[in-house]
Amino acid sequence: MDEASLIAAAQQGKIDAFNELVLAYQQQVYNLAYRIMSDPASAADATQDAFIAAYKSIDRFRGGSFKSYLMRIVSNRCYDELRRRKRRPATSFEDFGEVDEEANPALINGHERPDEYTERQEMSHVIQAGIETLPADQRITLVFSDVQGMSYQEIAEAMDVSLGTVKSRLARARGKLRDYLRAEMELLPARYRLE
Amino acid sequence: MARLFEQRDREREQWDELLSAYLDDELSAGERARLEAQLATDQALQTELDALRYTVTLVRDLPPAPLPRNFILPQTMTARPQPAPLARPRRARLAPFLTAATAIVSLMFVVVLAGDLLLLSGTGRFASESANDWAMPEMAEIEAPLEAPASEPVAEQAAVLVTVEVEAEVVVEEAEEALDIEAVPQDTPLPMLAEIPSETEPTATSVAEGYAVGMSDGMSTTVPAAGGGGPTDETAPPPAPSASPAAELLAMPSPTIVEEADEAQTALPTAAARAQAVEGTPTLTPMEDAALPPQPVEEEAPRAMQIPPGEFGGEAEGEHNVPSTTIMPWRTLEIVLGLATLGLVIATVSAWRARRR
Repeated sequence: MDEASLIAAAQQGKIDAFNELVLAYQQQVYNLAYRIMSDPASAADATQDAFIAAYKSIDRFRGGSFKSYLMRIVSNRCYDELRRRKRRPATSFEDFGEVDEEANPALINGHERPDEYTERQEMSHVIQAGIETLPADQRITLVFSDVQGMSYQEIAEAMDVSLGTVKSRLARARGKLRDYLRAEMELLPARYRLE
Repeated sequence: MARLFEQRDREREQWDELLSAYLDDELSAGERARLEAQLATDQALQTELDALRYTVTLVRDLPPAPLPRNFILPQTMTARPQPAPLARPRRARLAPFLTAATAIVSLMFVVVLAGDLLLLSGTGRFASESANDWAMPEMAEIEAPLEAPASEPVAEQAAVLVTVEVEAEVVVEEAEEALDIEAVPQDTPLPMLAEIPSETEPTATSVAEGYAVGMSDGMSTTVPAAGGGGPTDETAPPPAPSASPAAELLAMPSPTIVEEADEAQTALPTAAARAQAVEGTPTLTPMEDAALPPQPVEEEAPRAMQIPPGEFGGEAEGEHNVPSTTIMPWRTLEIVLGLATLGLVIATVSAWRARRR
């Protein structure tokens, strides 16, 4: 069954059809949430809430990209959560001891040496930390563009902003992250350093 | 110095925006050509472009975050929440109609109420009658025969006679005069109306009888009634016999109190009959009013109203029943409309509250 048929069946209240859409997009949705939230638990909550909201409001889906539809919902959830945290900052359990969510042995490349895997993990943490320093709107724009590979037009539709705003936010986000990595990567092997 | 840093940062952001869009191939052909020409000659700008490209590459090469679990929705969510139907209770749907009905009925009530006030206040006599009809129907029945005789001296005199207190004063004054003339001993008991218990409202007949008895007991003086002569002499019965010789000397031209009581009973129907003859208009004309003696008729009316109905003839009742019969349905209509307005207001408020919910 193709995506349009699944969407139509879900609009008729068939949960199984919608769950097939969930299985097809849950990795991308969760990845987006994780890169924005930098927290596995919060990313999981945002992902679950996004799918529930998408199912409840699927009657209002009038065609177009279902992926963009899901990405908009989850990014809005993440944005609301980030704003809530900014108003009421709280200390999470992850702050007491870093949980390496990406330290999954199953993800180790068979051709990658353990030291290379460790370096890559370290590099990922530094990048994620750099992303976390960005303002919420720039962070979401950067993740949309460079993590999800969405075009400027798709980002503008998902965030309900103009193309010029997307262009400006993305340039600022990349420039800040570049400067951050320049400062942080001096501790990494030379092959990861920025000139 | 700070301004120089700000200007440098602003210029750098502008360059970053061009470089970022260049990496995404989002520049126009002209912008792209100008930037590439600048990059060919500016090594620092080329370094910035390389650093930015590397940053984007690092972010794009980030491994996907492993899924902690599946996010499929449970089967309990099969009952997808449908938009709640706008099923309002019947009362809520009737709110506009109830509002209109309330407005109409309340308007009718106001019109009827205003009409009542205007019509009944137009003529004071009609208003007083209607008020009496409404508050105490028997009072109107009593008042009617009392007002009708006021149009003629005979009737007025009869009304004077039925007034207990006025009569008592007259009797006392006349008795005192008689006592002065005949030098009757001061210890002679004079039965005065003041001795009559106030609980029992004395009628003209009872007062007259009491006075007559007192006369026969110890008082040998007959007293002429105020205004005892005049037109009533024709209908007055012969004077009652006196008990003392002195009374016989003085009582000849004037009737006794018993005569006055009898006269009161006979004069009222006569006056009522005459009032009927005046084309059914019980009000006085200015000429008639001027011809009347200065006896305050209006002051007597409230006292006379205490007399039970049927004391006087009922001939005059018929001509004053017309307002009574027209007022009653009018007032009934007012009550019905008032109650209907109140009920509709309550129902309308309740309906609008249900509609908001």
